[in-house]
Amino acid sequence: MTAARVLLVVAGVAAGLYGGVLLWDTSSTVLVRIAVWALVGVVVHDFVFAPLCAAAGVAWRTVIPANWRSAVAVAALCSVVLVILAIPVYGRPGARPDNPTVLDRDYPAGLWISIALVWACVPAYHLLVRLLPVGQDQVVDRERADDVERQPPSR
Amino acid sequence: MAASVRGTAITARVGVALGVAIAVCLVTGLISHLIQHPQPWFDWPTRPVWLYRFTQGLHVASGIVAIPLVVVKLWSVWPKLFDRPVIGGPVRALERMSILVLVASVLFQLSTGLLNIAQWYVFGFFFTTAHYAMAYVAFGAVVVHIGVKLPVIRRALGEPLDDVARSGSLGPSRRTVLRGTWLAVGLATLVTAGQTVPLLRRVSVLAPRTGEGPQGVPVNRTAVAAGVLGSARSADYRLTVINGDRAQEFTVDELRAMPQATHRLPIACVEGWSAEGQWSGVVLAHLVALVGASPDSDVRMISLEPPGPYSRTVLPARHARDDMTLVALDLNGEPLDLDHGYPCRLIAPSRPGVLQTKWLSRIEVVP
Repeated sequence: MTAARVLLVVAGVAAGLYGGVLLWDTSSTVLVRIAVWALVGVVVHDFVFAPLCAAAGVAWRTVIPANWRSAVAVAALCSVVLVILAIPVYGRPGARPDNPTVLDRDYPAGLWISIALVWACVPAYHLLVRLLPVGQDQVVDRERADDVERQPPSR
Repeated sequence: MAASVRGTAITARVGVALGVAIAVCLVTGLISHLIQHPQPWFDWPTRPVWLYRFTQGLHVASGIVAIPLVVVKLWSVWPKLFDRPVIGGPVRALERMSILVLVASVLFQLSTGLLNIAQWYVFGFFFTTAHYAMAYVAFGAVVVHIGVKLPVIRRALGEPLDDVARSGSLGPSRRTVLRGTWLAVGLATLVTAGQTVPLLRRVSVLAPRTGEGPQGVPVNRTAVAAGVLGSARSADYRLTVINGDRAQEFTVDELRAMPQATHRLPIACVEGWSAEGQWSGVVLAHLVALVGASPDSDVRMISLEPPGPYSRTVLPARHARDDMTLVALDLNGEPLDLDHGYPCRLIAPSRPGVLQTKWLSRIEVVP
């Protein structure tokens, strides 16, 4: 395994360096912009987005009953993903007057309706779990990769 | 409790999925790059006609799928950012550095790609060159990361997922986090893929395109943007076909008087949207044969658009001699809309839309 690991690291460094070589002719102004763009992403995630998520995680434990938390967590993740995907289209910043075929949807409506649908699934899921005759853990414990329901007759 | 849900059991599993998404994104991206920057060792087939539509749709879809995967993967390891010592010895410093490069380059690729499909160029550098170069950096960083973490990954994948749930804690289990992740992946695909999968059009509420446009096909570069409003509608318009010192000129009426072929072909943009249309026009091979071109010649297609990166393309011989490659005059039963390349445009099977030259002015056989 050691040989494979060394090989991976060497190949990875070589690929990364090749990417750097491709940017060799780029002017220093543009290189700085590229570096800033890359680093801003890291900073925004590590020191803004992630702490906010952690804080939200601490806060919700005091507010949301334990048996609701799974569904709420999944809904929150889905909402975050929807918001990220909406950023470049929401206010149609890339729209140009000569081309109405780009960004040709009502994105605010699309985002809010999809987020509403996601959150509507939380109580629906909760209700479903309560109405099911077996507990969620039992269902989970029983499931395996080869778990196939409604098998055809073996005859 | 939440801190115990985080951890390598999730990191490794989501990481495998993310690795697959990044690999698919890289390969499909390289394919698109090689079609646009031909290499002698690379041949791109003309069949199936939807092949480029598929690979480039997959490129954008796999990039979008990577977004929720990155969110969850970074969430699962975030506390490690504050591990002590902050830097430590040289090995640890190198490892931390490699992770910085990894996260920065992957976020760079996903963010610039997402902005590019919405045509929002706020970053102040040329998208294609930066996205292409950074692809190697991101890929290299992923490979280094796998090399460094291989023992951890193997151990984590071998461990059962259920530790936390079994210990009786309430709230989300690791299994829930994983299921939620796959759900978010599905949702991200659903709300965007409609720009290339017609079936999903109505639910893809965040797709940059509905797939609608003049004559039922979207447009990327308009006649206004290309500056061809006058030249394309001019009564003096001629299509010139040249092979060495042999040249022929055709008016639109003369092109229409030639034998016409009709094919259903997709137009598939590098930005990941695509749409199928019914194109009619003159078979390109027939046109260049009139000036004595060999079927083994590449053909340069030149637009009325003033010289620029997308005003001309070289069509490889394999595509140029294909009987489905048209100099199209009609789209979906009507003369081409000005924004679709009136008076005539190239439409070839399995090619990026950006290379389907519009507002054709000259066709040159490359010696």
